[in-house]
Amino acid sequence: MILEIIDLKKVYGNKTVVNIDDLKINAGETVGLVGNNGAGKTTLFRIVLDLIRPNQGEVRSKGKNVAGNDEWKTYTASYLDEGFLIDYLTAEEYFIFIGSLHHFSPAHVMDYLKQYEEFFNGEVLNKGKYIRDFSKGNQNKIGIAAALMQNPELLVLDEPFANLDPTTQIRLKTLIRSLKNEHALTTLISSHDLNHVTDVCDRIILLEKGLIIKDFNKDENTLKELEEYFSE
Amino acid sequence: MLSTFLNHQWKAFWRSRNKGTSIAAQLFLGFVILYLLALAILVGFGMELIIGKLLPGKDVFYVFNGLILYYFAIDFLMRLQLQELPTLSIVPYLHLRIPKQKIVNFLNVRSLFSAFNILPLFIFIPFCCTAIAEVYGPFVAIMYVISILSLSAFNNFTAMYIKRLTTVNVKAIIGVVVVISSLALLEYFKILSITEISNRLFSFITLHPPTAFTFTIVALVMYFINGKYLQRYMYTEELSTAQEKKVSTAYPFLDRFGAVGVLAALELKLILRHKRTRSALIMSLVFMLYGFLFYKKLLLEKDDIRMMLFAAVFITGSSISIYGQFMFGWQAAHFDGLMVNKTNLKHFIKAKFLLFTTISTIVAIITSFYGLISPKILFIQFAAYCYNIGIGTVIVLYFATWNSKAIDLSKGSTFNYQGISASQFILMVPYFLIPYAFYLPFALNGHPYWGIACLAFFGLLALCTRSFWVTFLANELNKRRYKIAEGFREL
Repeated sequence: MILEIIDLKKVYGNKTVVNIDDLKINAGETVGLVGNNGAGKTTLFRIVLDLIRPNQGEVRSKGKNVAGNDEWKTYTASYLDEGFLIDYLTAEEYFIFIGSLHHFSPAHVMDYLKQYEEFFNGEVLNKGKYIRDFSKGNQNKIGIAAALMQNPELLVLDEPFANLDPTTQIRLKTLIRSLKNEHALTTLISSHDLNHVTDVCDRIILLEKGLIIKDFNKDENTLKELEEYFSE
Repeated sequence: MLSTFLNHQWKAFWRSRNKGTSIAAQLFLGFVILYLLALAILVGFGMELIIGKLLPGKDVFYVFNGLILYYFAIDFLMRLQLQELPTLSIVPYLHLRIPKQKIVNFLNVRSLFSAFNILPLFIFIPFCCTAIAEVYGPFVAIMYVISILSLSAFNNFTAMYIKRLTTVNVKAIIGVVVVISSLALLEYFKILSITEISNRLFSFITLHPPTAFTFTIVALVMYFINGKYLQRYMYTEELSTAQEKKVSTAYPFLDRFGAVGVLAALELKLILRHKRTRSALIMSLVFMLYGFLFYKKLLLEKDDIRMMLFAAVFITGSSISIYGQFMFGWQAAHFDGLMVNKTNLKHFIKAKFLLFTTISTIVAIITSFYGLISPKILFIQFAAYCYNIGIGTVIVLYFATWNSKAIDLSKGSTFNYQGISASQFILMVPYFLIPYAFYLPFALNGHPYWGIACLAFFGLLALCTRSFWVTFLANELNKRRYKIAEGFREL
């Protein structure tokens, strides 16, 4: 078990945004979080990444509370939104910066990025642009690639398929699957796209107003079930 | 259509997201403008008296005529610095069924709503209506008013045009700087006197009043040039930023500090790559010249160094206090990213210390040329430098852990009050008063230099115990980081 959420609650005003009694995520699982806007997906991710303090309960990563603890950062990589990028750097500078936090040399980083040439589709590297001048889709790619570069054991991605072109969406799915098989990577993904989630995840968690409504392993009926749930 | 645009602008101002601060800032600005206007009216009506008092025996009309172009020359330079280009506000209209010409006209007219265009009216028109109307008759007075209105409009549109040229084409800045500085030099060496030209022009107008329309024609020409230019470049990306190739840079000096150096390099890039932070940096460089105002030989001989201590603290520490007062708001846009990455708060704090120490050291070395006035100054500046890097940095960073106001770096710098709150002003008080807590006990007993030595000692002491302060500040930041991160997300 890599992640354990115990008795977690986050309240804004009189509205409970996250309310999870108990959730365990095992190493090597690819978990998809689905739910409409306001279901609490992003807030949950932020609590997992120790960006928001919960009103109650805790998130344990490898058995240790993430709050006030830096250990989880050594094996966790994430990309939630553009706020994770440093937009006045060039893409290369950003990768080198992230790499240096994990003690990769600049040469190592540039070498590593070669395998993402296909993923970047020639639109990211050596463009002579600051990150703020890239399109949203390419910013997304930079964030995701920087997260993957850290060789994480736990990967957290919020809406990774949004803003990506179809080719890149398919490439990203292949990438996540292969990482899971090779490195036993645990992934948390949120998405509004039910097709992608059921395609890539082996466990689906359905959130509504902060509560876990459903938590099940994927089978051939999952997509239909989800579509029925959301069309009600 | 024009009124609809202006109406939208009005709403945009009143409904803006950080209304509270912007209204407070506008109120403050409003008071400043009102004050200036009141002064302008006083000057306007008292022109005759003032000229008579200041330059007794000179012909009032001679002085007044000479003043006009001089005023507009300075006005022009101020506009280049301070007047804002109204551009981004048009983006939502570009794709709608509105003729380009109308949008262009809106941009042109919009630029007229500026305090710069009101001030000269108050300064010059009263005199035209009273003294000139009396002596030369109403017709000449009207032509004076027309020339002043036209000059104002001309300045307005020319400044806009140059600003537009320079945002698109960076090289144009060099040309503008060369032209302006050579004109200034000509004026300085009395080869070409603006006052003299102004005098001749307006004496000519008093003789042949209709020639004043030349100004109007020139202003209209400028209006059309602006319009043509806007029409041709009515693409937001061309209006706002220059398209130049960005290169990756590295700072080998900071590399040797490991993870801390990496974070410091990151912030240095932040400073150098944004307009607002760059101008904060330039400001603190300009403040280096304050020494010429405060370091007086006479006072040094009497060992009256009270004000010099303030000046020394300000000169060697202005970069810390000016840039530091908005911390960590500069990094609001990527604060979340910094928090989830594999760094820790101690490194984060240490990087700030490293950056402050480096910049302050450079400034201290440069300003050591004041030592030529008197070696005593070197001693005072050294103590102030020790205070700044030892104690001042800790104060600034402590206040920073209470600040959750984000700063949007994509906005310009002039008259940008975003991120300013009461805590910034409060910060300045202890920052500049604390040195006196070390200095005064000795100075009041007649040993001012022992007071300075005491300040230096405690500054160095704080520097030697820095690891303690790093831990302290990291703990303080840790207590409030969720609140800070939340505030920054509201950007």
